[in-house]
Amino acid sequence: MITALRERMSGLKSFQRGIHPPHRKKYSESVPIELFTPESNLLIPMSQHIGPPCKPTIKPREEVTYGQKIAEIDHPISAPIHATLAGKTAMIAVTLLPGPGGRRCDAVPIKLASDGEALPPDFLAQFLDRNWDSVEPTSYDPEEIIQKIRAGGLVGMGGATFPTYFKLKRNPDQPVDTIVLNGAECEPYLTADHRLMLECPEGIVCGLMLAKHAAGAQRAIIAIEENKPDAIEAMKKAAQGRPDVEVMVCAAKYPMGGERQLIPAVLKRVVPSAPKGLPLNVGVVVVNVSTAHGIARAVVKDLPFTHRVVTVTGLGVKKPGNFLTPIGTSFKELIETCAGGVTDQALKVLAGGPMMGPTVPSLDVPVTKGVGGITVMIDAETMHREEQPCIRCGRCIDNCPLYLSPTKIAHAVKHGDYDLANQYDMQACCECGCCAFVCPAQIPLAHYIRAGKNEWNHIQVQRKAANK
Amino acid sequence: MTIVMAAIILFGLTLIFATLLGVAKEILRVDEDPRIEQINEVLPSANCGGCGFAGCADFAKAVVEGKAPCDGCPVGGAETAADVAAILGIEVVQTAPFRPIVHCGAKTQDKLGVVPYEGIETCVGANIVGVTQACAYGCLGYSDCVRACTFDALHMVEGRPVVDYDKCTGCGACVKACPRDLIELIPFKEERMLVVACANKESAKAVKAVCKVGCIGCKLCQRFAPDVFEVPGNIADINYEKYTGEETEEVKKVLDKCPAEILLYFGRPKLKHAEQLAAEKAATSRN
Repeated sequence: MITALRERMSGLKSFQRGIHPPHRKKYSESVPIELFTPESNLLIPMSQHIGPPCKPTIKPREEVTYGQKIAEIDHPISAPIHATLAGKTAMIAVTLLPGPGGRRCDAVPIKLASDGEALPPDFLAQFLDRNWDSVEPTSYDPEEIIQKIRAGGLVGMGGATFPTYFKLKRNPDQPVDTIVLNGAECEPYLTADHRLMLECPEGIVCGLMLAKHAAGAQRAIIAIEENKPDAIEAMKKAAQGRPDVEVMVCAAKYPMGGERQLIPAVLKRVVPSAPKGLPLNVGVVVVNVSTAHGIARAVVKDLPFTHRVVTVTGLGVKKPGNFLTPIGTSFKELIETCAGGVTDQALKVLAGGPMMGPTVPSLDVPVTKGVGGITVMIDAETMHREEQPCIRCGRCIDNCPLYLSPTKIAHAVKHGDYDLANQYDMQACCECGCCAFVCPAQIPLAHYIRAGKNEWNHIQVQRKAANK
Repeated sequence: MTIVMAAIILFGLTLIFATLLGVAKEILRVDEDPRIEQINEVLPSANCGGCGFAGCADFAKAVVEGKAPCDGCPVGGAETAADVAAILGIEVVQTAPFRPIVHCGAKTQDKLGVVPYEGIETCVGANIVGVTQACAYGCLGYSDCVRACTFDALHMVEGRPVVDYDKCTGCGACVKACPRDLIELIPFKEERMLVVACANKESAKAVKAVCKVGCIGCKLCQRFAPDVFEVPGNIADINYEKYTGEETEEVKKVLDKCPAEILLYFGRPKLKHAEQLAAEKAATSRN
């Protein structure tokens, strides 16, 4: 209540509803980005984006160099995959993905080349290179930028993994006037975007300007939560001298980083509800900080998307930190080598933060393009008690940032009435988990809704098969 | 005098209304097929929806209109089909009743990589987490099918659903309830049928890593009894159009040789099978 009042009074950008979970970013927010080069083999999954999985374009036992394209598919919603380190490929294997649902897909294993040859020299310095001021975005042709982004294999690195080029492509029917850089990082624990904003703000701003030019937008907004004052300073400094860029400070509130919350907060525009409504309908494109950095690298330096900053944090690891990790590294190696291994009390490992991150079944899953963090939690950090009956207090409804009625949907799902759940707009839910966080009866509402959505899709497939 | 007048008026009114009703009955008559009512009477009145219609009355109407087959009631089976056919004046070809079988035979101790799960205790809930056990195809064991069964014919035994074929009517509610599509309706040509109790489509190595009893796709069954078994990918399949439920020498040989323990008999054991099973049980208990 007091927090909400303060947010109103202080003029911070904010949206209606939402929650204030503990930030717990202190474990890793002051640790600089370190480069991590694994010693064991990489396993690069073929499905790292929304859309159909890629097909390998290389043969087993073929030498690959750093950044060589190893897989692609001819489909608009897709992104090619590159060799993240130099080495030799092996027979295609099957791997579990860190995302929800325990999905599996094909993966290309890469046996690493001997030390020092796997990566270009001074990779970290080159990744965090701050000398971007000389780049003039308008000197590039928009079509050329789009092509380079596509070739670079960039996807939305906030976790949705939607191919970036497709978002930025100019569409005469739906012109884009504003591009929003998402530096909110509202998920507790994670600090990967925060560190990147501190250590390479010029690159991010350059990427944002390129994206703005490609999409044909007139205005660019950098949105950062107030709990990262140093990042706000750094980004303001980097954006100096660039016209049409504005840094906006948002309230530290969850889920500020969601597109449907960030756009109303900074622009006062309401995005139509999912699954049909998109930010594009109101002339806005939202780009993540890491993605913007990737755009600058892909367009100016022709470097593909091979590494990303991953936060390894939580009380369950000995040495939390932010690591520049090649895609395809196993969680196990990253946690053991970099973060000093897990402590004795470590209970569960999440791919992402605690609000939306799914628990991983085994530590053998690889880091993919959408994994921004690994959170290892101990028993005291988790909150699990027995599910109690709903007391109809309405807190989930008061806190749902999408104005849904989670309790109604969850009850419909519980009784297997998926048509009723759809009448309550189950498909619009973004699964942010605010409802389950505030529920005094400990009902896993978000889990019910997620299960309901999944089962509904399953029923659709069954019906289609029956009609054939 | 007044009482006589009242009687006359009432009598007159009665006559008028009786005539009106009689006329109305003739003019406003709706012809309903009497067979609908007759069929409705022979149906089991379970109103389970297993036939695909809203209830027994709806099904009866559909049968008379020719929109449903006369053996469309899975609960009533052959007897009801014969009764319905007699009312309609047609002959029904004897078909085997469809009964559910489960394509996962792994008991709790056979499943590997089981991790503690704290979410909603249903299969639908566990399936989206997807990782409560290592096998991504097998039974999750949270009893969605048991809850879906209105005839109390499914029970969880040692972490897998077991069908009670004395109670089962083949309505198919469990088939719809399973989020992993493990339950299938097959024609029970005999009292007990052979079933491949595994659904894992991955290679032998991957199967061995997740389950102690899963099908490894060795194609041995296809070699010994090519009429009955097919192995299109990494998993054996039984061709129920050709397989009659007969226990031939070839099938016996396959059962003997199969390296995985996934070929199981489902259904009510016949008397001779029951004796055989009892003997086997006695033999194992003595050991």
